[in-house]
Amino acid sequence: MTDPAKFTIKSLNFYYGDYNALADINLDLHQQQVSALIGPSGCGKSTFLRCLNRMNDLIPASRVEGEILLDRENIYAPSVDVVSLRRRVGMVFQKPNPFPKTIFDNVAYGLRVNGVKNKGVLREKVEWSLKQAALWDEIKDRLHQSALGLSGGQQQRLCIARALAVEPEVLLMDEPASALDPIATQKIEDLIHDLKKSFTIIIVTHNMQQAARVSDITAFFYMGRLIEVGATETLFTRPELKQTEDYITGRFG
Amino acid sequence: MERLHFHEELEQLKLTVLNMAALTQQAFENAIRAYAHRDVDLAQKIIDGDKKINQIELEVDKQSLRLLALEQPMARDLRMIMGNMKISNELERIADQAVNISERTIFLCQYPPLGEIGAMDRLIDISRQMLKKAVSSMRDMDARTAKDVRNMDDQADEATLQVLKSLIEHMVADAPAIDSRRLKTRRSIQTIIISRCLERVGDLSTNIGEHVAFIVEGINIKHQKLREEDPESSQ
Repeated sequence: MTDPAKFTIKSLNFYYGDYNALADINLDLHQQQVSALIGPSGCGKSTFLRCLNRMNDLIPASRVEGEILLDRENIYAPSVDVVSLRRRVGMVFQKPNPFPKTIFDNVAYGLRVNGVKNKGVLREKVEWSLKQAALWDEIKDRLHQSALGLSGGQQQRLCIARALAVEPEVLLMDEPASALDPIATQKIEDLIHDLKKSFTIIIVTHNMQQAARVSDITAFFYMGRLIEVGATETLFTRPELKQTEDYITGRFG
Repeated sequence: MERLHFHEELEQLKLTVLNMAALTQQAFENAIRAYAHRDVDLAQKIIDGDKKINQIELEVDKQSLRLLALEQPMARDLRMIMGNMKISNELERIADQAVNISERTIFLCQYPPLGEIGAMDRLIDISRQMLKKAVSSMRDMDARTAKDVRNMDDQADEATLQVLKSLIEHMVADAPAIDSRRLKTRRSIQTIIISRCLERVGDLSTNIGEHVAFIVEGINIKHQKLREEDPESSQ
């Protein structure tokens, strides 16, 4: 735990126009850990997640103050290339969103965008990514069929494979299992557990049991503020603050 | 997102355990009274009433298991369920001590009283107070009172020792020339068992206090001073 943080967030404020959606967030997120962000709808947890790979840049009239350091470098510095930032910090969304292409082309997409043309390399990386995403065995015989023919759970793992193909350092997951059935959810959770050996994972989830199951660190957000952060086991058995306790025990009035 | 239904059920669980505590406390009080007043009928009543307490323990386990399985409780709710399961287990064992005391009492009532036993009244008083405190800490979910219980544990141990010494004197005085059936020794042994039961009630009350402190504060204060556990003696 003494290793330097992968992400260091310092006095982060985020505004949608005049609305202060995130207020003075200070937080360290570490390598080889799963960090879960929890809190009621509108608390800022997804906004926070999207700040980490500058997805919020696309929102008009939005503004960021403070610093987000990735390996000690501010990702909001003018010199930062956003495309290469997003290669380092990949993202998986709530709804599986495969491209209307073959399974192979979905996974190879990011590689091709990054200029990989060699077919052998592409095949190798696609296979590696699909194996990492625990999907390979199920689809290895139909790599060239449409990704849209996969089940929801398979599509989501395909999206994870697609994100992994460019070998990111961090994987952001925004409610990655909320549209999936329990078995597919279980697979994603197992996958998160395996992936944390190689990647820094930050997950937003509404499902507190899921946060409890998959994460090492949990951060509780409420009304744009980071209320409490700590080891998941402590936060779910003995939270420091009453506000956290009230939220996780369902006593929020 | 308030979980009203779940919290009602949790409240119900708490009430079930409090009800069990009330019955257990009553059984213990009656056991003491039966012993002090040599009341065989009352002693028998306690023995017969133990079934009810055992049943409630099973009910607590059932309710707790259900809530754990279906509601995935967190934080204080989780501690409340775990703590109450453990408390009900301690209560059941306290009720068993009351039964044990009653059985010894029925035996003792066949013979004349043994005479003065030093510190027995004090031991009775301390164990009663400890259980009373433990139950009131449960009712109010008061960690301070809960921790108070174990501060009395040394007094209980000390009184038990005094009782033992006094009963040994009774036994030494029981020369075979005076009574070949050694009735005094027999009665003394039965009374020693009663004193052990009283001391155990103090220990189990201490445990209840520790569970209450865990529920309220989330910190396990058990075994902070380790003490050798005596084997449960029933004869």
